Amino acid sequence: VGGRGGTDIISTVEFNHTGELLATGDKGGRVVIFQREPESKNTPHSQGEYDVYSTFQSHEPEFDYLKSLEIEEKINKIKWLPQQNAAHSLLSTNDKTIKLWKITERDKRPEGYNLKDEEGKLKDLSTVTSLQVPVLKPMDLMVEVSPRRVFANGHTYHINSISVNSDCETYMSADDLRINLWHLAITDRSFNIVDIKPANMEDLTEVITASEFHPHHCNLFVYSSSKGSLRLCDMRAAALCDKHSKLFEEPEDPSNRSFFSEIISSVSDVKFSHSGRYMLTRDYLTVKVWDLNMEARPIETYQVHDYLRSKLCSLYENDCIFDKFECAWNGSDSVIMTGAYNNFFRMFDRNTKRDVTLEASRESSKPRAVLKPRRVCAGGKRRRDDISVDSLDFTKKILHTAWHPAENIIAIAATNNLYIFQDKVSSEMH
Amino acid sequence: MEFKLEAHRIVSISLGKIYNSRVQRGGIKLHKNLLVSLVLRSARQVYLSDPCPGLYLAGPSGTPMALPQLPGEPAAGPAAGWGEPAPPAVPAAWQETQPHPERSAVPDAQRAVDAEPAAPGIDAGDAVLGGQAAAGPAWRLMEGPREAAAGGPGNPAGASEVFPEVARAASHHCGRPPGGEDQPGALGATPRGDCCCAKEEAPAPPPIGPRKRGAAGAGGVGGPAGCPAPSSTPLKKPRRDLEEPSSGAAAEEEEEMETGNVANLISIFGSSFSGLLRKSPGGGREEADGEENGPEAAEPGQICCDKPVLRDMNPWSTAIVAF
Repeated sequence: VGGRGGTDIISTVEFNHTGELLATGDKGGRVVIFQREPESKNTPHSQGEYDVYSTFQSHEPEFDYLKSLEIEEKINKIKWLPQQNAAHSLLSTNDKTIKLWKITERDKRPEGYNLKDEEGKLKDLSTVTSLQVPVLKPMDLMVEVSPRRVFANGHTYHINSISVNSDCETYMSADDLRINLWHLAITDRSFNIVDIKPANMEDLTEVITASEFHPHHCNLFVYSSSKGSLRLCDMRAAALCDKHSKLFEEPEDPSNRSFFSEIISSVSDVKFSHSGRYMLTRDYLTVKVWDLNMEARPIETYQVHDYLRSKLCSLYENDCIFDKFECAWNGSDSVIMTGAYNNFFRMFDRNTKRDVTLEASRESSKPRAVLKPRRVCAGGKRRRDDISVDSLDFTKKILHTAWHPAENIIAIAATNNLYIFQDKVSSEMH
Repeated sequence: MEFKLEAHRIVSISLGKIYNSRVQRGGIKLHKNLLVSLVLRSARQVYLSDPCPGLYLAGPSGTPMALPQLPGEPAAGPAAGWGEPAPPAVPAAWQETQPHPERSAVPDAQRAVDAEPAAPGIDAGDAVLGGQAAAGPAWRLMEGPREAAAGGPGNPAGASEVFPEVARAASHHCGRPPGGEDQPGALGATPRGDCCCAKEEAPAPPPIGPRKRGAAGAGGVGGPAGCPAPSSTPLKKPRRDLEEPSSGAAAEEEEEMETGNVANLISIFGSSFSGLLRKSPGGGREEADGEENGPEAAEPGQICCDKPVLRDMNPWSTAIVAF
């Protein structure tokens, strides 16, 4: 469904902790939540499909009159809170404001009021001759979403990440230069825990690009920079975490130096593994796996689309080089996934070292269709179904992907379309 | 030679990006502009260090200009940036180039309102093409009108005033109009008393000055919204784009602009971003939220959706296309 000026371009995708719910945010400030249907005998072919569960407008465009700045309503990130009762909660953020939403279901309603009739109008008291106790009767399921907290005015720069702490009480939000720690129940203040703004902005050389709390250790978090480095910080070591506990950085390969070396080394996403032992980073051409115990270099590096290395100047010209791709782990941390161009996305099996390129397109999405591996040919021998580098469509980019926390279900956002694949990973590898 | 052309091209593209970033929705993206400025710096270094004979590049007015020879030009380190001491004298062709007449007509009504920094990199770009001489003094020249505009909102007449100043300033070695200090809103109205050139050991006059200053001077007071830049390459865009940040930042700007550093781009973006330039105290940086606006009131109830009926859609088992 086309939108007005691309407001339905998906800007973030996130499964909740059980994988039952999948939230997407878009450029128009809307959040759409999908719920997985329980498998049932009645619909044997729909093995737990995802249907729309709720849609709501999370953020609206705003105007900062003081700075004459329009604040985009685009949802940059959504993060689910661990479920603690019947309700689901999530955090959604645009460039400036984070909001906590509570999603509840209502499937019963009280009937049999004494003073009101069915439509809610007050009854004529003279007609009331006896009293009854209202009873709860089932009704069509209604999903209600309400904003519970609004965390505003915490950021001068553009928020790029939010991450909920494993303590389930706090979360952090990061912008280009600062990271703030919030308590989920307190909206009028936050603690600044990282500030890399130089005293003299002229000395600015790097910005924060992503950040995440450790999945198990509530005192640890990591943030990535535009220079390609990762900093692991310990909140117990100091109140202000400007000084990192560990710095993960790979020395630059001098033979690959170009005008654009700095741009392509900027880390666009960082994700802890489920185990908490590793980190996954994405820069423009590669994904890298880092071991928390080794700061000197990543333990694994995978080329996503190295054939673009010779095209960096054109990609700079058309702004593609600034695209921020995300990356994802599968539930067992054995496979990593990231998006690319031409609606391609890539998966790398860490154990077998095999990789596959798949395409998210309507043709490949017929019911029960098995995704066919694709190949990009960068010169040399060309096979029949290969795509040449020059015919790649750079407007079709897969920036946002998510992997179900336990099963092999992936959600792929291709511009304004969402694809959910139940992928049999092992059989697809080359 | 190839590198030089490539570098030049990259510089042009980069400046275009910085310029366009001003009008992008959501404000200037600090990250992207930082990266662009790094590319700009790399390209400039390559450009300046490539020992090729000067290129002839046609300017917007069609006047071919000879670029200065830059032999033995000390490569600017990352910290030093663009504001290096002037290179050897530049051919006189630069001096005679007139600033574009159309620039003076651009209104700068929006200037005071628009807090967004514009394209200071354009100055840098000019500097690349025209050698470094203009970089330093040209930057400083910017400060005059910029500060004047900062002091008083909207100086619509300033734009046209600047040009006469610019033309006259050609002969002055630092480009300041020979006696125009008191002209409100004009080039010379820099609060700093001493000649800006004294700060930099620039021995030679910046003959590139006039053309640059034309761009620069006009830029100093113009409003970004009205930039026509009809036939010009991004490099030639008027310096009116060099936007005036909020007054709190202007003070910070002053010294920063001096070096003509590429990082000046950052300072402009940065100060424009921060607006109020809140300086964090040394201790716990607990930021009180309610300083200006109280916490946003909870918004009225959002859309409650009945479970929508999508069951008439083909239940694809492998893919769901939403939206």
